[in-house]
Amino acid sequence: MQPCSREMQAMNSLLNPSQQIPLQDLQINGHHSQFDDPASSHDDFLEQMLSTTSFPVSSSSWSDLKSPWDPPKPEESDPCNLDNNAADGFHHEEILASKLRQQQHHINGGDGSNSFQAMKMMMMMQQQMMAAGRPTVSASGCGVGNHQGGGEGSMLALFNGFGDGSFHHPQASFGANSTTEINQSQGPTAVAPPQEKPKQKVRARRGQATDPHSIAERLRRVRIAERMKALQELVPNANKTDKASMLDEIVDYVKFLQLQVKVLSMSRLGGAAAVAPLVTVMPSEGGGDCIQTSANNGGSLPRSSNGNQKPPANDSLTATEHQVAKLMEEDMGTAMQYLQGKGLCLMPISLATAISTATSHSRNPMISNVNPNTGINGNGSHLLLQSSGGDGPSSPSMSVLTVQSATMGNGVVDGAASVSKP
Amino acid sequence: MDLHNLNPSSLKSRFTTRFLRALTEINARKPIASSSSPREIFQRYRRIKDAADTSMAYSVRSRRTWSKATLWRLRTPSHRRRLASFGRRSSLNKTRTTTTASHRGAVVVQITSRGGGLGVQLEELRELVPGGEAMDLCNLLDETAHYIKCLTTQVQVMRTIANLYSLE
Repeated sequence: MQPCSREMQAMNSLLNPSQQIPLQDLQINGHHSQFDDPASSHDDFLEQMLSTTSFPVSSSSWSDLKSPWDPPKPEESDPCNLDNNAADGFHHEEILASKLRQQQHHINGGDGSNSFQAMKMMMMMQQQMMAAGRPTVSASGCGVGNHQGGGEGSMLALFNGFGDGSFHHPQASFGANSTTEINQSQGPTAVAPPQEKPKQKVRARRGQATDPHSIAERLRRVRIAERMKALQELVPNANKTDKASMLDEIVDYVKFLQLQVKVLSMSRLGGAAAVAPLVTVMPSEGGGDCIQTSANNGGSLPRSSNGNQKPPANDSLTATEHQVAKLMEEDMGTAMQYLQGKGLCLMPISLATAISTATSHSRNPMISNVNPNTGINGNGSHLLLQSSGGDGPSSPSMSVLTVQSATMGNGVVDGAASVSKP
Repeated sequence: MDLHNLNPSSLKSRFTTRFLRALTEINARKPIASSSSPREIFQRYRRIKDAADTSMAYSVRSRRTWSKATLWRLRTPSHRRRLASFGRRSSLNKTRTTTTASHRGAVVVQITSRGGGLGVQLEELRELVPGGEAMDLCNLLDETAHYIKCLTTQVQVMRTIANLYSLE
């Protein structure tokens, strides 16, 4: 008998190189048998089988199984020429049984070339029978003493049943393969739908790949994810879930911090000039910052411990004012630079008063000399130039001065200028 | 503010000591004059900033890539740096094309983007974090986290110092 029918092709495909597939095929039956405990009704299971076989794509293994029972080619025209899709449970059984018997006939009388494939088919059907829990049919079908054990037992029994003749070699090898592979294939790897081409591909389930590359990839992804999470905690405004926007935030924050360092180092030009006393403890506006320095930093410098931040004498501020006024006379640029060096900035009076009233509750209210300007015309359009970067949550201590541009009474300077220290 | 949490060996205190030392040294060398030209002011500013960065880089206990890179940047003059950076970058980069670094902060990079849409931000991050050009994403994120932490400490300390001194 020439294996040109579709079922024979299927058998060929199953027999071809990776013998895994038919075994996984059988494993499917095994799986199905798992949820079919002997107590459940057989009809339900068969109906399930039938329903799966009726699906076109779902498990083409079933389709392969189905193929032996498809409307066969003329050579296979037999009493089992039935449409399986429409068959119900009992009908299906009959078909199985009849097919088995038919194959048996073929085997018993047949040639060696065909016999192995026929035997394979028989084994498949055998397995199905076992899964369906029909020991009687299988026994009768094969004439072998089968018991409803695992699949391996039945397969070995099958082999033993067909023991002699040309079956030895393929049988033995297949037997060895089958047991080992069944043992192995009980693992979690899923079964690829064995397609009806010679090349089979097994695709593992997601998250269970055994390929070392994908495992390494997964590890890497996990590490990156946890690092991103750590970064999220450091960076404020980190409620973004998107990786790209999170990276944007991080980049912006790093830029901001670097800018702050630059600005702060600028603002210390005037401040650190006079004296650098050692400080032991100092309350800061940041709320809880402490600077503790070791004592070995030069005995020549006086030690002063500032218990609290007292507002300095106002004369220094007025001195600044005068200085700024003088500078403003000559050149705005240098005046601005001087202010910047001091860590001060210019702002319009209206804004200054607004801020001063708003921050009158701040920790270091140093509001002094808020005098309305006299003799100043024009708008206060000097733009605020912050010399220290944004303080964030802490409220800045504001000291608002107004520069009495007495020396500029002649109207050179426009606008109300007030010097405030953010 | 409680005084009990002061850790004499924390990053903050280490940085503070070094930085104050550097500041006093700068002050001693060149006391500020009220009539300093903008150029002098700028020089002073540069010195202070470098002192801050150097002291921060030194205060890092575990040797980090960015700290080493910062120190290296501040030590080697720019021409030697350019040559070295060529060799370093070409050997370590797999997918990036040539990069030229002129001086600190001004890096002109021609990059072939890799890794999907994250390429632009990643390259920006690499530019920002010192020594970040030759690291893969995983390590880069790690370095960034540590760098941000140190930067915040630096900013905090500098701000308090500035507030303290400018109120005199």
